[in-house]
Amino acid sequence: MKSTRAALKKAFLYLLLVGWALVSLYPFVWMLSSTFRPETEIGRLNPIPGKWTLENYRLVFTKIPIGRAFANSLFVSLSVTAGVLIFTSMIGYALSRLRFRGRDGLFAVILFTMTLPFQITIIPMYVLMVKFGWNDSYYALIVPYLVNAFAIVVFRQYFKSVPEDLLDAARIDGCSDFDILFRIMWPLSVPALITVAIITFMNIWNEVLWPIIVIRKWELMTMPQLVALFAVGGKAEGLLGVRLAAAALLALPIVVAYAIFQRHFIASMATTGLKS
Amino acid sequence: MNRKAIVASATVVSAACGLLLSWSSCGTRASREASPRLIYWSANNQYEVDLARVLTAEWNALHPEIPVVHQPVPESQSTEEAVLAAVVGKTTPDVFSNMWPGDVEAYARAGQLVALDTFPDFAATIGARVDSLLLEEARSADGHIYQIPWKSNPVMVIYNVKMLAEAGYHRFPATYSEYLEAASKVTRDTDGDGHTDRWMGITDIRALWWQRFFDFYPLYIAATGGRTLLEHGKVSFDNQEAVQVFRFLRTLFARGFFPKERMVGRSDVFLQGIVASRFTGPWEIRHAEKFKPEGFVYDFAPMPRPDHAQGPVYTYGDMKNIVIFRNTRFPRQAWEFAKFLVSRQADLKLLELTDQLPLRKGLVNDSLYAPYFARNPFMLRFASQARYVRGTDTSPVLKEVFDIVSHEFEACVVYGVKTPERAIADAARQARLILE
Amino acid sequence: MKVASTAIDENIRSLCPPGGRKARRSSHTAGYVLVLPYVVHFLTFVAFPLVFSFVLIFHRWDIVSQMQWVGLGNIRRLFHDPVFFRALANTGIFLLIHIPLQIVIALALAVLLNEKLPLRGFFRAVFFLPVVVSGVVTTMLWDSLYAQDTGVLNNVLSSLGLGRVPWLTSPFIAMPSIALMATWKNVGLYIVLFLVGLQSVPRYLYEAADIEGASAWRKFRDITLPMLNPTVVMVVILSTIGGFSLFIEPYIMTGGGPIRSTLSAVLYIYNQAFQFNHMGYAATLGFFFALIVFVVVILQKRFVERETGL
Repeated sequence: MKSTRAALKKAFLYLLLVGWALVSLYPFVWMLSSTFRPETEIGRLNPIPGKWTLENYRLVFTKIPIGRAFANSLFVSLSVTAGVLIFTSMIGYALSRLRFRGRDGLFAVILFTMTLPFQITIIPMYVLMVKFGWNDSYYALIVPYLVNAFAIVVFRQYFKSVPEDLLDAARIDGCSDFDILFRIMWPLSVPALITVAIITFMNIWNEVLWPIIVIRKWELMTMPQLVALFAVGGKAEGLLGVRLAAAALLALPIVVAYAIFQRHFIASMATTGLKS
Repeated sequence: MNRKAIVASATVVSAACGLLLSWSSCGTRASREASPRLIYWSANNQYEVDLARVLTAEWNALHPEIPVVHQPVPESQSTEEAVLAAVVGKTTPDVFSNMWPGDVEAYARAGQLVALDTFPDFAATIGARVDSLLLEEARSADGHIYQIPWKSNPVMVIYNVKMLAEAGYHRFPATYSEYLEAASKVTRDTDGDGHTDRWMGITDIRALWWQRFFDFYPLYIAATGGRTLLEHGKVSFDNQEAVQVFRFLRTLFARGFFPKERMVGRSDVFLQGIVASRFTGPWEIRHAEKFKPEGFVYDFAPMPRPDHAQGPVYTYGDMKNIVIFRNTRFPRQAWEFAKFLVSRQADLKLLELTDQLPLRKGLVNDSLYAPYFARNPFMLRFASQARYVRGTDTSPVLKEVFDIVSHEFEACVVYGVKTPERAIADAARQARLILE
Repeated sequence: MKVASTAIDENIRSLCPPGGRKARRSSHTAGYVLVLPYVVHFLTFVAFPLVFSFVLIFHRWDIVSQMQWVGLGNIRRLFHDPVFFRALANTGIFLLIHIPLQIVIALALAVLLNEKLPLRGFFRAVFFLPVVVSGVVTTMLWDSLYAQDTGVLNNVLSSLGLGRVPWLTSPFIAMPSIALMATWKNVGLYIVLFLVGLQSVPRYLYEAADIEGASAWRKFRDITLPMLNPTVVMVVILSTIGGFSLFIEPYIMTGGGPIRSTLSAVLYIYNQAFQFNHMGYAATLGFFFALIVFVVVILQKRFVERETGL
């Protein structure tokens, strides 16, 4: 009796989980299958196309410079990620392991910037880019993102857990603070590095508002911007399959990365709780 | 220790900067330094890109000393937004051929455009091509002309001949009553599931200001016999005709003759025979020829008007003009290229490659274009309509006026939450506020 | 060159005694050097824009011509701007639907996933997938799913004999539809946050309750829920910030319509700035929306903290 109840409970549990898993997955499966269908077949529920075609993808590549946009996105995301790792670990190290006047004040400022809603600075930032002559250049996409408060907090927290003895020993050996940071702290802080790298990369890869504001040249657009404008603009000539194919191409790199580093993605995103 | 730290940090920073610099130089800034050449922006639809490529190649063969580099205008929700961004960012081209005349006044006032009538041969060349009345319309408030009227796309009705014939119409309805009656026959539920699946027409229901060029505005011009929204810089659209247009459109939505949705889930609802008509320009011909299914028959008709209207049917002519931006380093050469773009031969290419109408006097009587019109009878129809078109008013806040009208359109026409009288009165009141 | 650098190394070594005043002084300098990039970045990309936004608030400026001082004109306009209040109300509607729905679904699934089950990792990974994919993709995807007469959702509903829903074309349903989509996209993240919270609930509390013979529901209500309060605060705050940041969803799906019912704060700022070139007014809008986010988040935090006595 008890075992049937337990089995029923388990079945119910799985039903719910499988149900939501379907809800999560089905739209993606439908999108992917639609991209391989001729235009007239889209809108059907069945995820398996009756007739397969690559026409939609061919059209995406002929209509918009999506290859170039992929390269732009990759370059911008990697540059920002590298920059963020270097600069914020420097600050995180200084804040956690060095003593200097104004340190606590500075940390308070950093925490304050975390609470600053971006709506307030977005217009002045755009004006600043125009005054620098940075609109329609990679500078606008990279430089403003090179530092972020969240990464600093992650590094500061993590570096605090490294035993002081280790640093003292290194100092006696004549290590500079740069040596300590990049030769000792970095190898000891791989999880923090991964967290910051994944979150930064993902945020920059998916960012779309800022590129829409500062970039107008086709050759400089990142993938999300190009695909979003393709969705609202006239280039798709009203063809749905082509638009979905562009969306699928935009999703692909991050889905592949997610498939490989799935655990790290989830663990990293869980730390965004630090934000509040 | 600190010296080493400084050296190291300097290295990191400069390496990062160097990396950025080397990449950035493939972008904008490097291209601006190269000399001497002209940057030319065309519209970014495929047909006009093809046209621009052909014309640029011809020019470059003739003028190797000042080559032209062609680029399609950057993509944005609208071309106007992209141009604005370019003006702000000082990344404007030398010559631009897709300028909406409604924007010219604002840019001219801001000193962004070259006054073309200061070139000594302006009257001789442009005056010979463009109708004098039209040229006067293009004149700015300061007395100068900053644009070459280039091409016009009269907005007409494209309709599905078979669907109308099945409903018993062998001629497209010309008045509101006829149109509504036809609509009640065309609109129906073919598979009996209780939901309409054939509609009389469709228009973009979003409150985007430029969408009103394809419903309210041409209907208003037709209803008023050729009046625009402003007169002498003052609101003049709070009249009975505007209310009538709103009421007509509102009825179409209220009775379900137009779908209250964007139909983004389908490719082309007109060519698939789901809607029987729509308001559009001559560019539709090429699109229809490319994508129409076997046996599909379509035709064009003038905009419908209120019953008992007299005289020729006017409509909105979606005009696009050529301008030269002030920050060009080669104004003389840019002017030569602009003239080249509006030459007789170039106008023929414009017709042949894009099916759009050059704003040229005596177009249909010119023997050079006769073979083209013989091959494209539809275009002849647009060319005759082109004699009865109006453009837009010259006002630096015209976009905002259209934005206001758009939001009233949405509230009254699409969702029926306001009466036509109220909507027009509200729009006029808000527009007056902005114009002051 | 090489010789010189070894000389510097030697120098450093001699300057680097353990502890001592010298080390502390050099720690000062090194600290300043290390934070220098941040300070430069902060001054340029945070402090300056903040100050400049105050300047913009008092000006009319189309960025092309000269700035024009208008005093309190922009602020007065804002308080008389029905569209500003509409955008605020829209955000409110979004949050009223999004937050409860999100918490209920995420909490339920997190509790299920907290059991020791086979395939647990798989489910978690699947639920999380929409979180990592760009909002552009999910919006385009749902735009097609929501299509009134050809979309999959309505095809399902009408094959079940139910009516077709005007998901994005009714001024009353469009914003809830966007909230629904946002919930679908973000639930994975909040499941993970709740799981972290659940795992921090001490075992002994449950064991004690078991001894008293408490039901599963009672255990959930009296132990799990109170212990998860900090997580709930976090979810509420993150969702609130997200609601005020909505942009690409209405930008792609509705353009802010029908009848401005999906016009979001950021989309309104964007339109004012980049469609009509009202930089001063757009900055004013930005300032006030930011102020409102700030105040709302603090109030939410205060409220929940008082309720839980933390």
